[in-house]
This record gives sequence, C-alpha cells and structure tokens, in this order.
Amino acid sequence: MEKIVFESVLPEVFSGSDNIHSEIWRQRVCFQRGHLYLVEAESGKGKSTFCSYVTGYRHDYSGRILFDDVDVRSYKTGDWTNCRISHISHLFQELRLFPELTAYENVDIKNRLTGFKTRKEIERWFELLGIADKINVKVGMMSFGQQQRVAMIRALAQPFDFLLADEPISHLDEENSIQMGDIMMAEATRQGAGVIVTSIGRHIGLNYEKVIRL
Amino acid sequence: MSLVWKLLRRHISVAQLAGFFFANLLGMLIVLTGYQFYRDVLPVFTKGDSFMSAEYMILSKKINAGSSLSGRSGTFSGEDIEDLEAQKFVRAVGMFTMAGYNVTARMGINGVPVLSSEMFFESVPDKFVDTPVDRWEWKEGMDEVPVILPRSYMAMYNFGFARIHSLPKLSEGIVGMIDFQIIVSGNGKRDAYKGKVIGFSNRLNSILVPQQFMDWSNSVYSSSGDVEPSRVIVEVGNPADGAISGYMENKGYDVENGNLDTGKTMYFLRMTVSMVMCIGLVISCLSFYMLMLSIYLLVQKNETKLENLLLIGYSPVQVALPYQLLTLLLNMTVFVIVCVLLLAVRGYYMDIIGMLYPDIDEGSVLPSFILGFCLLCLVTLFNFVAIREKIMNVWSRNGAVD
Repeated sequence: MEKIVFESVLPEVFSGSDNIHSEIWRQRVCFQRGHLYLVEAESGKGKSTFCSYVTGYRHDYSGRILFDDVDVRSYKTGDWTNCRISHISHLFQELRLFPELTAYENVDIKNRLTGFKTRKEIERWFELLGIADKINVKVGMMSFGQQQRVAMIRALAQPFDFLLADEPISHLDEENSIQMGDIMMAEATRQGAGVIVTSIGRHIGLNYEKVIRL
Repeated sequence: MSLVWKLLRRHISVAQLAGFFFANLLGMLIVLTGYQFYRDVLPVFTKGDSFMSAEYMILSKKINAGSSLSGRSGTFSGEDIEDLEAQKFVRAVGMFTMAGYNVTARMGINGVPVLSSEMFFESVPDKFVDTPVDRWEWKEGMDEVPVILPRSYMAMYNFGFARIHSLPKLSEGIVGMIDFQIIVSGNGKRDAYKGKVIGFSNRLNSILVPQQFMDWSNSVYSSSGDVEPSRVIVEVGNPADGAISGYMENKGYDVENGNLDTGKTMYFLRMTVSMVMCIGLVISCLSFYMLMLSIYLLVQKNETKLENLLLIGYSPVQVALPYQLLTLLLNMTVFVIVCVLLLAVRGYYMDIIGMLYPDIDEGSVLPSFILGFCLLCLVTLFNFVAIREKIMNVWSRNGAVD
C-alpha cells in the first residue's frame, strides 16, 4: 500500500456542527508510504476515531477513505484482516494487551499470525526497551509504561506499510521515549513504511515531515 | 497449546457444558433408540406369513348366545359357499376340513420330549398353502405327514421350555430338529405317523395337514360322514375393499384376519415411537439452546479478548474456530457414546424379540448411526453458524463505541 487518502471525511458525531476547524476532517489529506507524520489533537477532536477509521473498525463517517485509490467501504472482512496483518500496524492508545498472557506471549500471539520475527529478534527488543526481565511476567502484573513497550514490540512484529502509533509514549520517561522512537523508526525504515504518530501534547521527538492538526 | 485457546477457554463453564452434554446425550439416545426400535420391531408386524398370503381371509360364523340357543349351526352351508363365490371381490373359496378322528401328538426337540397332547387336524385345499408342492405332498402309504404348526407353539417352546431345559431355540430355518409323532385313532384303528414340520403360521390355531392326507385319513379313521365346514378360506383381490366388510357384516361372518390387528398395532407402535422420538428431539433442541446460551455467555464474557484478537489481525474464522471445535468435540463425543449405548440397549431388547420371533431379520443399526451422524452434522452446523454470527457481531460492533 502506497498511500492513505482522507477525502472530505467527517465523523458522524460531528455532522451537526459547522464549527469544525481541522486539517483532516472535511479536507483532503494524503499519507504517503515512507514518510513520517504527526497528528496533533486536543482531547475530543476525534484522534482515536481517526485511528479506528484507518484500521477499519469504525465506519461511521461521511466522505471517502482511499487506500491506493480504493474506497475502503468496499473492503470485506477478509480485506481488513489482511490489512491488519500485512499493511497497517496499530499501536493502540489503550494497548489492547491480554493481561492473562505473559509479555512474550502477547507479542507471540501476533507473531504466530505473521511469522515475521524470530524469538531472538523479539527478545532483543525487550532488552533494548529495558523490560527483558519482564519477558515471562504476565502483562496484568506490569505497569502501564511497561505495557506500552510490550504493545510497541507487538506492533512491530508484523509487516506493515503504515505504522499508526496512537500516543505511544504517554506513560514513558524521556529515555525510554527516545529508545522507543529509535526502535520504531528503525523498523519502519527497514520496511520502508510510513509512520503516523498521534499525540495530544507530549510526543516522541522525531523528525516529523508533516505535522497535521486534527 | 494455542495461545488463542489459552485466552478463549477462560470463563468456560464446565457445569454448563456438562449439562448440555448429558441433555444432548439423553435426547439423542431417545431419538435413535426410538428409531432403531421401530425399525427392529416393524418386521414382527409386517412380516408376512410364509404359508398364507395376506390376500387370504379366514371366515367363520359369529357365535353368540342367540345362535347357540336357537340351534343355528355355526357351519357354512352349500348356499353360503355359493353366495360367497358369487361375490365380485372373491377370487377363490376353500373349505377347512376337520379331522373326524382322534389325534395324539408327541413333539420333541433333539430327543427331549416337549409336548404330548391330544390335538386336532385341519386342512385347506393345497392351493391355499404357499409352499412348494414337493414339501406339501402326501400320498397314500407314506409314513411321513407334512404339518404346519401354529406359531404360538414355537413361542411357547422358545420362551418357556427351551429356556428352562437349555435347549436350542427354534426358528423356521431349523424346524428339522423337531420330532413330531402322530398317533391317529378312530373307527377301531390306531396308527402311528411321523410328522414333518414344514413351518409355523400366525394365522392358524390348529395343525394343518395336506388335503390328500385329510381326505384319506377321514375316510379311514372317521366314522362320521362329511360335515359342513365351520370355517372357510377366501382369496380376495384386494383385502382393503370396502365391499368386503359390508358383506361380512351383513352375513354375520367373522373375519379371522390378523392384518386387522396388525394395522392397529402398527398404528399405535408408530404413534408411541413418534411421541418418544419427539420427546427426544425436544430434549435435544433444549440441549442445543443450552449449549448456545453457554457459548453466547462465553463470547460475552470474553468479548474484549475477542475484539482485541480481531483488531490485531485474527480473522473471525480463526477466532470462532476454538469454540466451534469445542462444540464439534462435544457433539462427536455425544454421538460416539450414544452409538455405544444404542448397541447395548438394542442388544437387550433384541434378545427378547429374538425369543419371540427367532427367525426375524437381525436388521442393522447402520441406518440409526447414519441418522445420528446426520443429526450430529446438523447440530454442529447450527452451532458453527451461530458461533460465527456471534463473532461477526463482535466484529461489526467493535467500532460502534470509542
């Protein structure tokens, strides 16, 4: 997938209000593969909504979203599933980890689906993010910051054309934020993928090519 | 173990599944046993008499207090017969001839005496007996007389005598084992003959011998002359012809027609078995709902997990599979156990049926197994579709709220 285009998209919840000043809603926005974007928003502007439209788990909008010129409204279940395992990786704001599984199992449950990374590579990420000692600990026992790092590793354990990172560092300190940014960008660059980071304030310090205000 | 299964087995209620398991087991067992029993018992009623086809009716005159007192005989006069022969539905009429002498018979099996009693011979014209001529032939001077015994003799022997004396059970195939000695006396003479049992008939209450033997023996041993027959055998074109019953009613004839009772019995059998099978089906349906409720509850409790799995790229098919396999496994286990139980139950009742009707077809349980398998497939299919629908609900609902 080379590009994601939002064409006059407006969430149904906003359809009643005329007072929309956004660089995405009701606009034409194009996200290109291989580029780095920051989507900044205040709370309640529809940041998670934006992410859920891209990953196809919400469709309550007017306008068109195009993946390589194909309207995603024509996507069937199988297309979305394929999209989620091969084209668009999503680091969820609410993480969506499984607390009853260990940190490694949480990554593995995705990696088994994609068969993309070796156990060694995954363990290496755990080391780089400073949670190697937590690899066999149940996620439910970990802090949110630690969980955020596990979720990032899981998001990287798949091939993708776009990585959608929804507030990836909300609970991380500076050092870990930088580390996380490095790993994320290294993998995205390796895959030649586009990265869309969202933030409501503090964001990873990266060389964003375009900052879009939602 | 699959990580997905590790996640999704959470909240599985063993009690609920066990409830489904036993309810389904019971329901399916009732349905299949009912079906199998019906199939096994049906031949008992539908099996034709091998010696007298269904088109033959045996008629006698109604005997009641009035006729006894008025001195009206219970026999068929020449006019009666002629009238009967003139009826459109009648193809042929034959008269029962009764022996006018004493008969004592001794029956033994494998040299063990079973029965020794005064008996009674009857005969009908040979064309009414469906057996090869060479087996049903008697000529003057022959010591051996072919006989057909009432089936009740066999039941009596198999149920009572054979059990107590550990003797083999009789069936039509092994009638040769029966020693049947006949002592005929009358008119100052007394002779012994050897009876050769050809088979058993449901429709006779007396011992049937060939017409030639009867004619000859009556002329030799009987002191009385020809007597009018008290029963006649009639071949009709269509036993269900409405004109028949009207005529019989009019004339005051009784029809000794086993088919009539068979019809009623079949009706009640069918009704009873249908009712039992319905109960089984209801239990099966309820158990199906129980399983579905249990799975729905499970899906609801695990909804977040299911949603997360779908969002990280698992397809609805992959997510539904563990639950579908669970139902398949449960249904298969139920099916296998039901088959085993069915064989056990059938073994038990077939022993009893076998004693009453030793020559009945063994039949097969295959149709029941196939029926069970079809039910299994059907139920599993419904389960699969319902689970898939439920997962698709999660799939399409997961975007509704943010």
